[in-house]
Amino acid sequence: MSLVYRFKANQPNFTHVLQDFVGEVLPFAKRVNNPLLVAPMVLLKSIEWSIYRWHKTPIRRFYGIKSNELLYMITNACNDRCPKCGIWERPEPKSQHLMIGHFINCLKRLHHNLYQVTLTGGEPLLFKRDIVLIAEEARKLGVPMVTVTNARLLDEAFLTRYKELGHVLVISIDSVERSKWNEFRGTPSFDIVMPKILLAKKMLGDQLRIQSVLSKESEQEIPKVAEWCRQQGLQHNVQLYQDFGAYNWSNAITQKEMVDDGTPCAARKNICIYPNGDVVKCFDHRRIPLAKEPLGNIAKQDIIEILCTKRSTEVSKIMKTCNFPCKHMSCNKPQALLFR
Amino acid sequence: MSILVIPCFIRAQSDLDCLHRLLDSVRGQSKPFEKVYLVDDASPLKYEVGRHAVEHLVLDKNGGPACARNIAISRALQDKAEHILFTDHDCILDTDWNAEMTAFLSRTEFAAVGGMTYSWGKTLLDYYHDINGTLAGKWLLPDRKELWYMPSLNFGMKAFAAEQFPFDERFPSAAGEDVDLCLRLRSKYKIGFCPTAKLWHDYGYKSTITGFARFVRLFKKYKSSSATLYEGHTVLMWDSSESIYEGNNHEPRLQV
Repeated sequence: MSLVYRFKANQPNFTHVLQDFVGEVLPFAKRVNNPLLVAPMVLLKSIEWSIYRWHKTPIRRFYGIKSNELLYMITNACNDRCPKCGIWERPEPKSQHLMIGHFINCLKRLHHNLYQVTLTGGEPLLFKRDIVLIAEEARKLGVPMVTVTNARLLDEAFLTRYKELGHVLVISIDSVERSKWNEFRGTPSFDIVMPKILLAKKMLGDQLRIQSVLSKESEQEIPKVAEWCRQQGLQHNVQLYQDFGAYNWSNAITQKEMVDDGTPCAARKNICIYPNGDVVKCFDHRRIPLAKEPLGNIAKQDIIEILCTKRSTEVSKIMKTCNFPCKHMSCNKPQALLFR
Repeated sequence: MSILVIPCFIRAQSDLDCLHRLLDSVRGQSKPFEKVYLVDDASPLKYEVGRHAVEHLVLDKNGGPACARNIAISRALQDKAEHILFTDHDCILDTDWNAEMTAFLSRTEFAAVGGMTYSWGKTLLDYYHDINGTLAGKWLLPDRKELWYMPSLNFGMKAFAAEQFPFDERFPSAAGEDVDLCLRLRSKYKIGFCPTAKLWHDYGYKSTITGFARFVRLFKKYKSSSATLYEGHTVLMWDSSESIYEGNNHEPRLQV
């Protein structure tokens, strides 16, 4: 990913102010039942909006609470070849991979504000030693951690340490039948992974969760996965399919249905880090023109400094009303709401 | 056992009239409070509460509403209160407010509760606050199953939550200290919403025209406190929320 920023594209401008204004005022205007009152109410709303935007006030510094999620895509590389996912097709060169110390520093800087740190990929367990380091630091800082994996590289030593640290492991499964499994994974991994899932269940107990992706291709399989999880006593979550560059699977429900269902997006609570240390507010940030380029890089800047930039604030404001289908992803919800 | 806490700073006769109107509504509750603490934050105007059965604590030094509420919370905890409810002197409680708030706290797992707040006045500015949900709290998105925040004028906590999460006395005025409390409280507990616990808030607008300057001052004050909160809670304020108003106060997905 390029770190050469285009100056103009990264500067909030009048259109972003306008977008923020419209995002605030339009939903408000819909609340006014009497058509004669729409104009005066919108005028008052505009005054309120202007005060919040431009009125300068002295600031005092207090402390933070835990309400943000830090998501680290630790690598693009993967040992599976799932047709639903295009991330594994673009593994980062070794020279661009973030040194683990930078992420640990970022975690330390933010931990007062984090309710969770989530490690994803690619396949995170390709960097097993780093995962354990992060898990240990997260434990020290009192931040719950979730690692999302395909389970191929799970082993007893890792599971023992992970269990001790008390974090949650999420294994991605879209089928429990050998042929479909191998088709969905793009590798004949069923016989390798299934025993490891059962081992993880035995060793992690309630710290193990299962997650499935619902698409047209997997919709016949998901109920079987759910039933298998029920029999195994495992918590299960279904996430709607989102395209991350593979274009091989298709949504089980239309994009319009996904957008129009009234679910708001809460993802601006998220702080997302790419394998090279680039910071974005959402892994689907390219949908928002102002957010296309990363906000900064934690190998070069302090994370708080990055998050306090004007562009970061503007991107967050836009995310409040961006309403894209990606709002159905798990990152829009805290873990407590995901797994039942 | 429910105890009501009212912090007040009485500057003028109009404030005193508001206070008496509130205390009348307190006396008219279908389920009476076991105790009412009226904490006077070193008001410049001296007054008596007369016929009203309240514990009138008068502070020597002005410390802000957060400090006043904390003093009453300590007393309420000593009194073994089960539920501690909060309102302001310029509010008017619905007859069933205490009954609804305490019933909600008793029957649910929520550690705190907010009720539905309406404007008392009839100006366009009051109407604006009603549809804007200025003081009606905010849903936590995306699920609208709990509150992101509820102003302290229509708020209640279970005793254990009040004990663990006092108001932050570094907030010098009545703005932001309730948001701060809710944000900290939510790191451990959930805040529920009880739409049937109604009260009215008097913004003090005499008319739309003459009240306009007051309207602007109000939002300047809130902006001032929100700047403090933005800084203090760093990235927290990007958590998504939505103001509550009459059109979304009975959310079908609300779980109690």
